[in-house]
Amino acid sequence: MKNNRLTIAAQAVKSNRQLMAGCIGVLALLVLMIAAPLISTEDPTIYGPDVLNGLGENGHILGTNHLGQDVYSMIIYGVRTSVKVAVISAMISGILGVLIGGAAGFLGGKVDVIISEIINVFMMLPTFFLILLIVALFGNSLTNVMIVIGITTWPGNAKLMRAQALSLRERVFVKSAEAMGETKRQILFKYIIPNGIFPVIANTTLGMANAILTEAGLSFLGLGDPSIISWGQMIYAGKQYITSAWWICAFSGIAIIIAVLIFYMLGDGLNKVMDPRYNKRRA
Amino acid sequence: MSEKPYVSVENISKWYPYKGDKLINHEKKFIKANDDINLSIQKGEILGVIGESGCGKSTLGKLLTRLETPTAGDCLINGVSTKELIKNDMKAFRRSVQIIFQNPFDTFTPRDTIEQILLRPLKNHNIGNSKEERRKLCIERLEEGGLVPGEDIMKRYPHELSGGQLQRISIIRAMLLDPEFIVADEPVSMLDVSVRAEIINMLLDLAKLHNTAVMFISHDIALTRYISDNIAVMYLGKVVEYGKADEVVNNPGHPYTKALISNCASIDPDDEREEISITGEPPTPLDPGPGCYFAPRCFMACEKCLKEYPDKKNLSDTHWITCMNAE
Repeated sequence: MKNNRLTIAAQAVKSNRQLMAGCIGVLALLVLMIAAPLISTEDPTIYGPDVLNGLGENGHILGTNHLGQDVYSMIIYGVRTSVKVAVISAMISGILGVLIGGAAGFLGGKVDVIISEIINVFMMLPTFFLILLIVALFGNSLTNVMIVIGITTWPGNAKLMRAQALSLRERVFVKSAEAMGETKRQILFKYIIPNGIFPVIANTTLGMANAILTEAGLSFLGLGDPSIISWGQMIYAGKQYITSAWWICAFSGIAIIIAVLIFYMLGDGLNKVMDPRYNKRRA
Repeated sequence: MSEKPYVSVENISKWYPYKGDKLINHEKKFIKANDDINLSIQKGEILGVIGESGCGKSTLGKLLTRLETPTAGDCLINGVSTKELIKNDMKAFRRSVQIIFQNPFDTFTPRDTIEQILLRPLKNHNIGNSKEERRKLCIERLEEGGLVPGEDIMKRYPHELSGGQLQRISIIRAMLLDPEFIVADEPVSMLDVSVRAEIINMLLDLAKLHNTAVMFISHDIALTRYISDNIAVMYLGKVVEYGKADEVVNNPGHPYTKALISNCASIDPDDEREEISITGEPPTPLDPGPGCYFAPRCFMACEKCLKEYPDKKNLSDTHWITCMNAE
């Protein structure tokens, strides 16, 4: 059976170019993450003697910054930060959204009313300023940034999951599970969530792209974690040298665009493939 | 009727609040899906419930299995209210009362194999000591039910099986828990005619074997007559006629039943009977009354019928109707 599901997944990937590009991109990012020490030419945390070297100068493929760090190596190691932020914050947001939205939709009644209002309150909050506030209050470690992105983006996932749960709980198999004596918790975890999670997965993948952007934005404002290498911080540090050493900002900016595009294509592709109307349109 | 009934339905009602027109009309309205129903089922008895679509047959089934909570009235099993039963021990109640649904294609979650689907309730209810034992029991039951080889069926997903197979599994799963009362909600209406008889016979054989009470919901009069001991005819949320199957079919008392039966195709082409046609659509169950619900379409209706709902009238010891004009 596993084999069967894999072939279905492979067919889905093949049928949508966006999804295929996204998958290849994510694989490439993973390779960069794991093999960063092999691919990079230098340790990016070392402040070398070559300050503000241009492209190709002294063996620095993309030059160096004002502290003598190798830009090419920094970009390679920056993948780790971005992917970490994307995956962990999206997971937090996805898990919170699925649990809260699933419970609201499935239990209904007063629970649903209260949770829906909470979701609405969270949706109205100006997310970015809330993140700024929390980072300013609790310090700017990467962990804080990831958690904050996670807990400010879950309402979108919760709304999707709630809508799924609302329609699933009227299905016969949920009623029959109830008649077989299964508890509410079992029904939620074995029937509602596995059958309704697909739109949330697609949305979470799109959320990863936004998480990368948010982290870069925070770093650009000087609120990133200073002890790690991230693309946003490279731009932040490089912006004062933009006239004399444009390569610092330019290449890290391009890296952000590529990473965001990859996750966006993956998410959008998943969205399209999982849409039940998609296969009909093609057939 | 000397025995105490095993399942007894007492004045059960299910009203759904009607949400339309709220701005203009502040009066609260209800859709009376079930209204003041009284029935009883003995152990081992098969009660057929017939009526046209939308008359509340399925709602009644859901009320009896407590998938819906009644607005008023109660259902007693062995003299104990199901409300109490489910409050005290939900699992024991679910074990003793089971339901088989109309649509076999939607009865099982599409993400699990038949094995997972069958083993989960067994584990929940602590039937069998080990996984191996439960598996063996499932395979045995599957093969008894004509699903051979059981080992292979267990590995399948619901979408890989046919409707007939799925409905068999649905019945087998319900029977795994040894229920004492089964509601079969139009179990064969979505299946091919060719497999209907097998599925019904399977259900009846199992019910007879375990002396289970069955409520068989259907709109097929001929089929219901063939399998049931008693028949209840429903119209717009009310039971209008109840009696022994043969009595109801051969000697219908209520004009609605008469019309239903006169329109039922007979196998015997020489069978002579007068066809009664009823005109119009059934009215909405939105605050019907005050008269007899069937009066607007009834060919026997008189002025009195439009004023008050008729009382129960006994035609014989085992046969009653609710109609003014019964002779």
